[in-house]
Amino acid sequence: MIQFQYTRATAAKAALDAISRDKTAMFIAGGTNLVDLMKRGIVSPERLIDISRLPLTDITTEGKSLKIGSLALNSTVAENKTVQQKQPLLVQALNAGASAQIRNMATVGGNMLQRTRCHYFYDTALPCNKREPGSGCGALEGFNRMHAIFGFSEKCIAVHPSDMSVALVALDATVVVDGPKGQRRIPFIDFHRLPGDRPEIDTNLLPGELILGVEIPDNRFAKNVHYLKVRDRASYAFALVSVAAALQIEKKVIRDARLALGGVAHKPWRLSEAERALVGKPVSESTFREVAQLAMKGAKGFKYNEYKLKLTPNAIIQALKVASKLV
Amino acid sequence: MKFFDKVIGDPMNRVDGKLKVTGAARYSAEYQLPNLSYGVVVSSTIAKGRIRSIDSRAALRAPGVIAVISHENAIKVPGWADNEHPTEPPTGGRPLRAFYNNRVYSNGQPIAIVVADTYERARHAAMLVKAEYEEEKHETNFEKNKGKAVVPAVVKKNPKSGLADYERGKADAYKTASVRLEAEYVHPSEVHNPMELQAITAYWEADDKLIVYDKVQGTKPTQQAFANEWKIPVQNVRVISEFVGGAFGNGLHNWPHETAAIIAAKMVKRPVKVMLTREQMFFMVGYRPYTWQKIGIGADKDGRLTGIYHEAIGQTSSYEEFTESTLQQSKMMYTSPNIGTKYRLLPLDVSTPIWMRGPGEATGAFALESAIDELAFALNIDPVQLRLMNHTDTDPEKNLPWSTKYLKECIQVGAEKIGWSKRSLKPGGVRSGEWLVGYGMGVGTFGAHRGAAAVRAKLLANGSVVFQSAVTDIGPGTGTAMVQIASEHLGISPEKITFQLGNSDFPQAPNQGGSATVATVGSAVVATCQAMKERLLEMAPSADKRFANLKLEDVTFDKAHLSITRSPSVKVAYTELLKKQNLTELDVLQDSKPSQEASKYSRYSFSVHFAEVHVHPMTGQVRVKKVVSCADAGTIVNKKTAANQMIGGVTGGIGMALQEDAVMDHRFGRYVTKDLADYHVPVHADVPPVEVYFVDKPDYIVDPMGTKGLGEIAIIGVAPAITNAIFNATGKRIRELPVTPDKLI
Amino acid sequence: MSKINSRDQQSGESKSDSRRDFLKQSAVLTGAVLTPSIALKAAEAQWDEKLAEALEKIPLKLEVNGVSKSLMVEPRVTLLDLLREQLNLTGTKKGCDYGQCGACTVHVNGTRVLSCLTLAVMQDGRKVTTIEGLAEGDQLHPMQEAFLKHDGFQCGYCTPGQIMSAIACIREGHADSEEEIREYMSGNICRCGAYPNIVNAIVEVKKGGKKV
Ligand SMILES: Cc1cc2nc3c(=O)[nH]c(=O)nc-3n(C[C@H](O)[C@H](O)[C@H](O)COP(=O)(O)OP(=O)(O)OC[C@H]3O[C@@H](n4cnc5c(N)ncnc54)[C@H](O)[C@@H]3O)c2cc1C
Ligand code: FES
Ligand code: FES
Repeated sequence: MIQFQYTRATAAKAALDAISRDKTAMFIAGGTNLVDLMKRGIVSPERLIDISRLPLTDITTEGKSLKIGSLALNSTVAENKTVQQKQPLLVQALNAGASAQIRNMATVGGNMLQRTRCHYFYDTALPCNKREPGSGCGALEGFNRMHAIFGFSEKCIAVHPSDMSVALVALDATVVVDGPKGQRRIPFIDFHRLPGDRPEIDTNLLPGELILGVEIPDNRFAKNVHYLKVRDRASYAFALVSVAAALQIEKKVIRDARLALGGVAHKPWRLSEAERALVGKPVSESTFREVAQLAMKGAKGFKYNEYKLKLTPNAIIQALKVASKLV
Repeated sequence: MKFFDKVIGDPMNRVDGKLKVTGAARYSAEYQLPNLSYGVVVSSTIAKGRIRSIDSRAALRAPGVIAVISHENAIKVPGWADNEHPTEPPTGGRPLRAFYNNRVYSNGQPIAIVVADTYERARHAAMLVKAEYEEEKHETNFEKNKGKAVVPAVVKKNPKSGLADYERGKADAYKTASVRLEAEYVHPSEVHNPMELQAITAYWEADDKLIVYDKVQGTKPTQQAFANEWKIPVQNVRVISEFVGGAFGNGLHNWPHETAAIIAAKMVKRPVKVMLTREQMFFMVGYRPYTWQKIGIGADKDGRLTGIYHEAIGQTSSYEEFTESTLQQSKMMYTSPNIGTKYRLLPLDVSTPIWMRGPGEATGAFALESAIDELAFALNIDPVQLRLMNHTDTDPEKNLPWSTKYLKECIQVGAEKIGWSKRSLKPGGVRSGEWLVGYGMGVGTFGAHRGAAAVRAKLLANGSVVFQSAVTDIGPGTGTAMVQIASEHLGISPEKITFQLGNSDFPQAPNQGGSATVATVGSAVVATCQAMKERLLEMAPSADKRFANLKLEDVTFDKAHLSITRSPSVKVAYTELLKKQNLTELDVLQDSKPSQEASKYSRYSFSVHFAEVHVHPMTGQVRVKKVVSCADAGTIVNKKTAANQMIGGVTGGIGMALQEDAVMDHRFGRYVTKDLADYHVPVHADVPPVEVYFVDKPDYIVDPMGTKGLGEIAIIGVAPAITNAIFNATGKRIRELPVTPDKLI
Repeated sequence: MSKINSRDQQSGESKSDSRRDFLKQSAVLTGAVLTPSIALKAAEAQWDEKLAEALEKIPLKLEVNGVSKSLMVEPRVTLLDLLREQLNLTGTKKGCDYGQCGACTVHVNGTRVLSCLTLAVMQDGRKVTTIEGLAEGDQLHPMQEAFLKHDGFQCGYCTPGQIMSAIACIREGHADSEEEIREYMSGNICRCGAYPNIVNAIVEVKKGGKKV
């Protein structure tokens, strides 16, 4: 880790000011991702602007939505009664991530912006277009068991590792940011991007922008949600595949649905077509099977992640079964 | 049944427990020496070739940097004559010599060390060191090179070696059995990954006097190795390893980072502390080698085994031959008249493996115990039954009686406690909600070894006794067990006894390993207590004439007093004797080695593990719901710490069965799963309650306490118990570990 | 056949290959919020590194186990390394340095966090409790007692982290069943595998109802 300058910001304005003056600077919130990456020499900011004490930690309901400050801790959000009542899917997703200690440190904004856990990204002795544009994608023909089956490019097949983001994309959240262009709102679905030719860019957040918070519109899913995370051990592991499922069911018929996947793409993968296909259908395993097949359109496996082509639809079916209380 | 008391009650708490729960226990990187500096090892990024040059200019300019040391400027280690390595490695061949020349033999090999005044500065400067290589084509792919496996050099030297091809009856007899099968099993490389990162603090007290605080499993072997390397008298090297944060075998070998630290300390003339990173733990301090196995097994229709053939190829490095007893269990566990084994090594451009808990036996048991399960299924016989039917009452390999063997009892109790009767012979027959339920078992065995050791005891005027041994305690609770043995054999309460260990200044002890520590050092404790009692008895007449001319058998040593057994009122305190003789202490040093008698018997510990697993048919997730482990390990000195050992072995076995996999990308010859996020080991949520049962019958052939060793059998047989249970749940036979969810959907 | 390879050790690393270059560069770029202009001068004049060192350290106030500390630290020092290397509080362990094992768990203002993933300077003004701060004199904390009684460890290296985490687990209200304990303790790896004993220790303390 190089030596760097450290500034603690006490107001969002000051943080934005500081970052606008220094292209080599980065924000640090919980530090759980950034400090790790800095230790390994994967990123080397020359200035850190500590935003962890900014007053952006509130969780409030306003009108028909829930607002969560970007610096609210993952554990605080998960333990919050209002969130538990209104958005249990988000709570489940948060609790499926990392460990209790990390959730006590990790912030909502930092969680969205965590980098991929691709082995090649993490090892500076190996090629990675995301870490070092032009060096090649090590995973494409390498050990790609954890990698994408949707939306990848020749340049990068990494996946986004966040669990929380899978729930947020399913729940139609909006990200509120401030920066050189002033405040703007980014639909969560457009927040993360696909790798394309520029895998080094994870999101549509612009340089110098600060995430202020996220907003989740109220919905009628609370009774029928499930976040299913399939991983290599029972806890404290990243997803092989995860599914966020939310259903609104009336008299055993699905009235509305939200469905998204984690661990399968460079961004949390919303399944809009599958959602539409669920609406109006009866709650049944055969409905879920059909939809799971639909969800897999366009999926392609690589040498070591072929299994995801089967695990993913299975996980979708399973998540829908649990959400709809079929099991 | 009396012998199978469930482990409860009030076995003694660990004598060093308080230090551990308060953070006061000091591990190798935790000694604050004056003028301490920090070394960070720079690792190679190629798998094979030569270092053309090392550019350390930027690193040297960075603040706080004291030195950058590589083969270009390292002082010569005097013990390294050309092409020779004076230390006796625990492996065949020649261990890697740090900074000896420009050769790179494996990825991640230490190529330089940066020393700075703070850790942060050393870490930063290490990243600034740039190496240029002349890369050569490397071979790291086991599967691709399997055909190039060779007969181990130890076998070439000694055709009678236990690793030589073995045949009893006809090796391929299984091929004509009425029920038979052949199967291949693959075990990936696994890394010990103790929680404590490998660390050493090295300090030259004088030009020819070295002190190291080192994470090793033997202070004496390490002392000898460094004395040889530096050509200094053995007593000029002091190795201290008072607390070892787990090792599981990786401290049985001295590794290049240790020498790197010692070279650095010599060059910068300051103490140097080196702690490896978690990634470096994958590249430089050994691992359980990738092993391919093939088993052919056959039986008659009633289930009597008629032939077993077991072949294994294990990976090793290009410069050292690491061998282990992968095939041992197949030679002696079952009654088959025809047995054949064949063991080969495959040298690759990788670092050297080293024994990892339950070493080769655990790898071999995965194949053998899976094959037995497969055969039972083919025969439509209960696997418990099949094992009992083919139980060996004497050792068929050595043609000797067992010193003791209570495996049948273990199997019976284990089957009952896991609820084996609920098992269905047909896979998939039991469900719990959506989950498929399966039961499986695996048997384990490991030699009950005992070595030579010496122990010192000092009886002090205040009535306390201090024992000393160079042995280390990597976690089993050695100090605690020794205090208990000493207490019993010296007739002094445990609170009065201190057992000092982990220091090469103390009397001789071998590495802690091979489940032999209690037998080896415990026997020396018994011998020392015996010698101490003799001395006390010699002194006794000075306090009371009636003790004159008595023999040890005539006297009782209890509650820190000697008394005449026949007339217990004749009694004198140990401390009284010291006073009478005007002594401040009574110092006794005694050694002990195995008896000749023992060689007339075949000595093994045995275990059996039963697992209940649940498998989710949609997601392939496996949950181990319950494990019952029964051990025939002779006398159990401390049921609390012994049960913990067993639980730990089961945890390791769960990792082996379901999670652990050090994956290498062969294009680069470099591991890709190389930290604890990518290389999974079990966490709390993976480990169910584990029920442990001990036979607890002494085996006095092995040692005077009657112990047989426990650390290895705790894990041997666990992985197949789990994979067999998975088969029973799902009908899927996975022969390539680990069984991750992707393999079950 | 051999090919020439010159892969950088750490290609992600620094454009600035010397401390002085770095000071110069960052001072210029940032308009010197915290970089005193004297640093710039020091860099240009190639003054003694000692001076540069002094300039790179920043003040930090912490209360560690009830004792107030006023320190000067480099911002890149993690809380873990500060405790272990500078404050001689080696009870807090380094098992991975990447947030993957829990050995470094401490309490900051009463909550459990990983000291390896937080910069010490980020905790300015806060209260840090480590394993060394639990016992009151000779009186062990009930969780320490329970670990001893249930043999919740072997080598002892993960133990301080397990104990700090276990206390927090109860405080957070996540110790209501063995299953919940296992889930909420999963951030603390024990390679020796003493897990069931650790769970038993936590169950006992929780049932004992004492304030932890
Ligand atoms: C061992 C381990 C296991 C994990 N397992 C999981 C898991 O299973 N599931 C999961 O989802 N996550 C997991 N994580 C990741 C963890 O959730 C993230 O590290 C964490 O959420 C990041 O949040 P932070 O506040 O610490 O971010 P930081 O590390 O502080 O910052 C991350 C990035 O976000 C930027 N940033 C932070 N806040 C803002 C803001 N408000 N505006 C603009 N930029 C900002 C920073 O500049 C930085 O680039 C794991 C992490 C570890 C170490
Ligand atoms: S050292 Fe901090 S989590 Fe491992
Ligand atoms: S006690 Fe050794 S790692 Fe937990």
